[in-house]
Amino acid sequence: MPDPGLRSLAGIFLRIGNLTFGGGDPTMAALQRELVERRGWLSAESHGLIYALARVTPGTNVLAYCAGAGWKTGGWPGAVVAVLAASLPSSIVAYLLIAGYQSMEAIPWARAAMSGVAASVAGMMAAGAILLLRPQWREGRRVRSAIVAAAALVLSHQFEWQPVPILAIAAAAGYFWEEQ
Amino acid sequence: MSWPILYLLLLKATLTSFSGLSSIAVVRDDLVVRRHVLTDRQLNNAVAMARLSPGPNGLYLVCVGQIAGGIPGAMAGAAAMMTPAFLIVPILARFGRRAENPAVKRCIRAVILAAAGLVLASTIPLARDAIVGPATAGIAIATCAALVLTRIDTAWVIALAALCGLVLRYTT
Repeated sequence: MPDPGLRSLAGIFLRIGNLTFGGGDPTMAALQRELVERRGWLSAESHGLIYALARVTPGTNVLAYCAGAGWKTGGWPGAVVAVLAASLPSSIVAYLLIAGYQSMEAIPWARAAMSGVAASVAGMMAAGAILLLRPQWREGRRVRSAIVAAAALVLSHQFEWQPVPILAIAAAAGYFWEEQ
Repeated sequence: MSWPILYLLLLKATLTSFSGLSSIAVVRDDLVVRRHVLTDRQLNNAVAMARLSPGPNGLYLVCVGQIAGGIPGAMAGAAAMMTPAFLIVPILARFGRRAENPAVKRCIRAVILAAAGLVLASTIPLARDAIVGPATAGIAIATCAALVLTRIDTAWVIALAALCGLVLRYTT
């Protein structure tokens, strides 16, 4: 594998990490095209392994992918450069947006626009839950999937349990409860 | 709120989630329910503004940090979003094969399912605050359907919802 150098590595993650809308999968697909197909800095096999492990790493999947791909191509400096390049510029944009909104909050038309956005965000969160459930909704796993998700919903909403113990119980249940 | 505490609280949320928005249950529990540094509406605004920005879904943590603690808070949020990503390096170096273990896979799937339940649980109070009549309910349902059924960019949906908010306010 050729050694890309930190500067060109930063360039790729800067461009793809911050200019791709729509979350993790399109971003990782764009990075795969660039790193594997176009430049040959990463083998297809390494990409597959990093992609799979990124999904099981806590936090934002796409940043774990960046850390893994950066590490594979440039060691620890590569990992740090990739994560910073992929997330720092968009973090600044997000900061400016929320700070800008807070300074406009008293303006009636801004509040009116945000009342529409707030309703939209509620729908967006429900969609987020559905999109998390959908890949697990397979033949032979439906009852189990429904039970785990519903139990978490009820324990949290009805019984006001904290999220971390609920997730820990789910992890234990998943580990010991074998699928048919 | 001081940035080191904010960093640790947000890190707790990112370390216990496996995708951008599923950390929101922990964030809401700590910052809205227990410590009252954020309201449900502010958490909602943070999610909306992060979605307007390009980049990863976890960016809402930067906005949450900004509301709770200004610039140092936003930096704590960005750091909490980035930190868990580096866990992949030791996993990649040592346990690359073990991720194929069926029990580990089942375990992760169950955590993702529980996270979906938790995201729904945190949607309820946000929706109660934001949905005030048939029009806002329509916006919520239309957003959910558009995001589940099409590949439309979220930023467009938010822009359209903002327009609907303006139209509702100034035409009725």
